[in-house]
Amino acid sequence: MIRSQKTRTALGNTIIHIILGIMSFIWLIPIGFLLLASFRKEAGAYTSYILPKGYTLDNYTKLFTETSLFNYPRWFLNTLFVAVVSCIVTTILVLLTAYALSRMRFRLRRPLMNFIMVLGMFPGFMSMIAVYHILKAFGLTQSLWALILVYSGGAAMGYYIAKGFFDTIPKSIDESAMLDGATKSQIFWKITLPLSKPVVIYTVLTSFIAPWVDFIFVSVIMKDNYQNYTIALGLYQMISRENIYQYFTRFCAGAVLIAIPITILFIYMQKYYVSGITGGSVKG
Amino acid sequence: MKRILALCLTLVLLLSMLGGCSSNSGSTSSGDTIVLKVWGSQEDQVILGVMIESFKAAHPDKTFDISLGVVGESDAKSKYLEDPEAAADVFAFANDQLKDLVAAGALYEVTRNKDSIVAANIESSIAAATLDGKLYAYPMTADNGYFLYYDKSVFSEADIASLDKMLEVAGAANKKVFMDVSNGWYIASFFLGAGLRFADDGKIDWNNATGEAVGEYIKSFTANKAFLTGDDDILKSGFADGSIAAGVSGTWNAANIAEILGDNYGAAKLPTFSLNGVETQMGSFGGFKLIGVNSQTKYPVEAMDLAEWLTNEENQIYRFEERALGPSNIKAAESDAVKEDAALAALAAQAPYAVDQNNVPGTYWNPAEAFGTALESKDYSKSIADMLNELVTQSNSN
Amino acid sequence: MKKKRSLLTRLSESISGFFSHFINGDGITKASYVVMGLGCLLRKQLVRGFCYLLIQVLFIWYMLSTGINNIIGLKTLGVNAQGQVWDEVNQIYRYTKGDNSMLMLLFGVLAVFVVIGFLFIYAASVKNAYENEQLLKVNKTPSDFNADVKRMFNEKFHVTILTPPILMVFLFTLLPLVFMILIAFTNFDKNHQPPGNLFTWVGLENFSAALYNDPVKSHTFLSLFIWTLVWAVFATFLNYIFGMILAIMINKKGIRLKKFWRTIFVTTIAVPQFVSLMLMSKLLHDQGAINVLFKNLGWIEDFIPFLSDPFLAKVTVIVVNLWVGMPYTMLITSGILMNIPADLYESARIDGAGPVTQFLKITMPYMLFVTTPYLITQFIGNINNFNVIYLLSGGGPLSLNYFQAGNTDLLVTWLYKLTVNEQNYSMASTIGIIIFIICSFFTLVVFNKTSSAQKEEEFQ
Repeated sequence: MIRSQKTRTALGNTIIHIILGIMSFIWLIPIGFLLLASFRKEAGAYTSYILPKGYTLDNYTKLFTETSLFNYPRWFLNTLFVAVVSCIVTTILVLLTAYALSRMRFRLRRPLMNFIMVLGMFPGFMSMIAVYHILKAFGLTQSLWALILVYSGGAAMGYYIAKGFFDTIPKSIDESAMLDGATKSQIFWKITLPLSKPVVIYTVLTSFIAPWVDFIFVSVIMKDNYQNYTIALGLYQMISRENIYQYFTRFCAGAVLIAIPITILFIYMQKYYVSGITGGSVKG
Repeated sequence: MKRILALCLTLVLLLSMLGGCSSNSGSTSSGDTIVLKVWGSQEDQVILGVMIESFKAAHPDKTFDISLGVVGESDAKSKYLEDPEAAADVFAFANDQLKDLVAAGALYEVTRNKDSIVAANIESSIAAATLDGKLYAYPMTADNGYFLYYDKSVFSEADIASLDKMLEVAGAANKKVFMDVSNGWYIASFFLGAGLRFADDGKIDWNNATGEAVGEYIKSFTANKAFLTGDDDILKSGFADGSIAAGVSGTWNAANIAEILGDNYGAAKLPTFSLNGVETQMGSFGGFKLIGVNSQTKYPVEAMDLAEWLTNEENQIYRFEERALGPSNIKAAESDAVKEDAALAALAAQAPYAVDQNNVPGTYWNPAEAFGTALESKDYSKSIADMLNELVTQSNSN
Repeated sequence: MKKKRSLLTRLSESISGFFSHFINGDGITKASYVVMGLGCLLRKQLVRGFCYLLIQVLFIWYMLSTGINNIIGLKTLGVNAQGQVWDEVNQIYRYTKGDNSMLMLLFGVLAVFVVIGFLFIYAASVKNAYENEQLLKVNKTPSDFNADVKRMFNEKFHVTILTPPILMVFLFTLLPLVFMILIAFTNFDKNHQPPGNLFTWVGLENFSAALYNDPVKSHTFLSLFIWTLVWAVFATFLNYIFGMILAIMINKKGIRLKKFWRTIFVTTIAVPQFVSLMLMSKLLHDQGAINVLFKNLGWIEDFIPFLSDPFLAKVTVIVVNLWVGMPYTMLITSGILMNIPADLYESARIDGAGPVTQFLKITMPYMLFVTTPYLITQFIGNINNFNVIYLLSGGGPLSLNYFQAGNTDLLVTWLYKLTVNEQNYSMASTIGIIIFIICSFFTLVVFNKTSSAQKEEEFQ
């Protein structure tokens, strides 16, 4: 009886290993294709064969040498700048909002939460034209600061995960600190924040990544100013109808280059990401 | 934690200095400088730069600060409408956008030197830039149409006269004949060839017996083993690996395809197709690229001079030499070099069967594409007659 | 628990207070109704009073310079169209600048916001003046600036920390939103757009066209609406269930290389979504790598129309969305799954339940209970899932039955196409509002009824 169960478990585990193997393979196909194409010598997005006929590093080197039009290094710095600044601003705004909504009780709390939630239902990019003209009224269009404002402008609306996390920190800690004469502000900075490392890292990570992947807002704000493009829009430009044949392999190389740091960041921070989001999105 | 924060702050400072430096440098301008911006397609950037320099040299009495932006002719309208004030003062666009641009009040009417411009360019290009009797743009090229590219090692001159013959030959050689049927621009070729047209108000009535015969032909064409569809990228890749022997496309691919095919490179007018058993010449859209002057420009006179300069005879020849773009300027078009260009010659041979795009409504393209897509993916759940009815309803609903 | 007063009663109390304070107040308080901050300046709250005064001056300056014109402009949205004047010297028609309806609407809305914001501050300043008077009557001093600052970091800390984010939300989310909502009541389209033309109010015309008046459009709307719901349901629940199963498999006792498996799936998250989706659309193209591969292997004769057959395209987008979404669900559910008490499974096993029964009877109910809020946000996110559809299929294959839309178009991608290709802003905005109403109704009803929102306090 015991033995048969053991063999059954062993068999089950083998099957699961096989399934995981197959799934990993399927999940990695596009990434494998991306890597292959980034080293492919022949141009074009479609080939009637799978393995490239020739391999080259040109796609990578040209990203950094042929910069008259597609200025990859410049775009990279732009994105880094926007990502760093907007990540700092966003993180601060999100944490503050979440903290206020989680730890404090005031008259407008619930209406405010419902209000923010309802606002979030509206398809965001619809308001792009209006956002553009507001930025224009500030004289900020086609600049990186405009982009930072756009990315962190709605930050407070993403308070939800962080609030969920703060909710799980026992209130008794606050209360005992308050008895010791700490102000609300001190409690936030000295007690709550150090206890919330996972959700802080989660917020930093998600807000840092946003500028690397968005291309719609950037295109509305930057328009024809190629110099201020971010990586995502620049890459997107490479595969527009006119450019795709010539630049597809270079696009792949550029994509690989930004995927590497993000992947490393993700693998390294995975633990915090998971505990941040599980602590925050649910109550368990 | 603190160290990370410090690091971040330093980074921000550094980068903001970087950003600050570069953004400040461009904004200095003195009172007399005439600041203009030009939009052109990516491939044209270099030659536009040269033309602008020569424009400056030709107007030494004024100081210009002319910048270039990359906005392709096909995107000009949508980019312009996002914010007319931020759009270029002088921009290139395809002539099918003229109606919408004029409706939006986007273009300056061309009145300065109008007569000489009208005289210098071929009539059809002027017609394409004219709406309600007013000229709104400067013709730049006359090559926004399509024709047939073919591999001389596969087809003889006789083969390419008829589409059915081509399919037969290509099928036997296990190669493909390429045409992007799921695209309103190309699929119209069959309808136009059969004599169906857009009315002046853009309405169509193709749901008649002729239309049905055309539809049936497209159905049999797309069902043929040797038929292949796709976009430009597939066409070029296909020529490159030898799987495609002929394809319908425009001059913008000429350089690439000529290079790929080498000595076997051939270009000709479109073949005929059999309509109710009668061999009928395929039609086509003939389009032009135009240059317009933004109605919001601060310097209309200089912008117009620049637009005129960019489209004059000399620069049209230069554009042809560098980029093989077909001139709309009569004298430029008559030069020997232009006449010897295989792609432009093919386009010229197709010209008698070409129809201008001025009356095509914006609502036509999507249903036409849907029509082609359904046939390409062999979705025969609806009869051709029903599909035509729907095409007409959708295209006419405005 | 004390009974909460509704917002409405509170508002009416403030309004009646506004008038009674004027009647009951002394001279200085009454004067504060005209010169803001007077009741503070003259009663030892110098900084606060000065701030009030500054706000009033700025407000008056803004209203006189542009504000009043902006609000008046809202009524007509412009009367002067762009005109032409013949310039004999240069032989050209010079354009005279006309009104720009769009900017008039935007700045009109902004002006209304400013006025509302000012009224709140005004009411607060008046109340403040009256309170100061009452305090002095009982020989207490109104709090000075230092005390105010201290309060801002303690009792009033929420005001301090919520002001910047909320201001940003007002400026970059609410204001554009109100603007877009108002567009739905205008005729802003291809034939009525700046700079050449004006647009104006048309009432509910667009709504009737979208819902029943215009058969072509309303049919498209209804069909896309149904598909949007179908998509959202499949995309949300399949991702959820398969992601969870994946997490269970990886976390199962006896599975080796847990970290390795997890890392592989995390890698796919880390490749920017637009890159992987664009690649997928190339891979799944009729002439794409997958069809080529299958053909080379001899599995198929003709290509499989992954993205060009109406039905298959719908399946494809849902399946590819699984590829995109499952790793996320896997990450999120991993942590929660470990929290399920092990003895539940133990007793189930003794009762003879197999893995499937255990999953259905224990795991699912527990997970559903805990993650309902997450599921709802996912569902709403999928209704508005622009990226996956736009980048993968572009809404295609296009349909002859739909007005400017394809078979996999969601309402959001349709409205995007309507703005970009058709410049039909008013229709797009109308659709946006309808999506918005559906989503917010759904969420507000369901969300506030879920266990976790009710029991927010229990965990603290």
